[in-house]
Amino acid sequence: MRVRSSVKTKAENYSAELIERRWLSNKSFEITLTKPKSFEYLPGQWIRLIHHTVERDYSLVSSPTDPDFALCIRNIEGGILSPGLSNAPVGSCFNFNGPHGYFTFRPSTRPAVFVATGTGLAPFVSMARSGVTGFILLHGVRSAEDLYYASVLKTAAKQYVPCISETERSSGEYFQGRVSDYLQENLAPGPYDFYLCGRREMIREVTFLVDEKFSESLIFTEVFY
Amino acid sequence: MKIYTGTGDRGKTSLFSGQRISKAEARIEAYGDMDELNSIIGALVASLGPEHSGPVEELQQIQTDLFTIGALLATTPDSPAMDAIAGIAQQHIEFLETSIDRMEEALPELKSFILPGGHPTAAWAHMARTVCRRTERRIVRFLDASLKVQAPDSYQFVLIYINRLSDYLFVVARYCNYLFDAPEKLWQK
Repeated sequence: MRVRSSVKTKAENYSAELIERRWLSNKSFEITLTKPKSFEYLPGQWIRLIHHTVERDYSLVSSPTDPDFALCIRNIEGGILSPGLSNAPVGSCFNFNGPHGYFTFRPSTRPAVFVATGTGLAPFVSMARSGVTGFILLHGVRSAEDLYYASVLKTAAKQYVPCISETERSSGEYFQGRVSDYLQENLAPGPYDFYLCGRREMIREVTFLVDEKFSESLIFTEVFY
Repeated sequence: MKIYTGTGDRGKTSLFSGQRISKAEARIEAYGDMDELNSIIGALVASLGPEHSGPVEELQQIQTDLFTIGALLATTPDSPAMDAIAGIAQQHIEFLETSIDRMEEALPELKSFILPGGHPTAAWAHMARTVCRRTERRIVRFLDASLKVQAPDSYQFVLIYINRLSDYLFVVARYCNYLFDAPEKLWQK
């Protein structure tokens, strides 16, 4: 499937109704909302969700061709919006503004390396659901239960590398360590297109590693938290 | 949105098209000056105040155009990222020219050089004009050094726009003195 990467989408105000909530782990969940008729976006873009006086930005996790749209959210204890989203009843109405952002997939001759921490995985799931394939994907999480969306990503990726930072039983199924450790130790030299999404510290570490070891590469980033 | 990532802590920065380059490169000098120009126009807007909504709205449109030019300068011409940038076209240049013509109709004919200054708003406009000229020099230097062939259309329009913008800012300076009844000081040999 050809992936659109060049459509200029203009941010507008919309409202949407909560259709479904699906827990991905004990802390993270996906919510599906009704898609307004004129709302169009590209995989990798985000929206600003507004509920009462509170607003937060979330990347879309669905494909633009899906009939509804979905967001992947980590429930943060004491957070401003996520606890409310974690128990809002089906049918609740939310305002949002979007789409925003330029973190979209740009096909090239260089291999794509997607690097995510936690729910920073969302843009890559949207890309995979939209037909992007053949990439290397690293997902850095604390424990194995946070490896959500593994099946869709395994299918689309050339290589899917879960990286677990907490010391737990080593099953050999996962890389034990941070995503930057994996890249340092295992990624063959060469130019790549790196797409980094997630924690600021990860983005900083991987960017410096790319400067040192893969300096002919391109880097696109989206900071989550 | 987080303001800082720290990825620029070691002297490199990322272009919109994904390359990592030294902050000492001519490209960064060019869009750094563009940023300075935009900030000075912001100071001019602030000093005009909301009661002069006509010039303020016009200057804010120009600030938006300068963001677009900054994005163009931060993107290599062959990159697919170019598709996400609105670009600068003939209509943006006509916007400046129409406004210059309209302001000049209200102003007395200029028969001598004038000293930059007068009302504080005019002084800001002159500051913006000189930084605009420097920005233009930096852009030309960057394009001369980096492009082996003729600059693509997107950059050609940028060059015309920036050249016209300094003329526009000169006229804005005179127009501010006219608005606030500040006399123009002529150059005496």
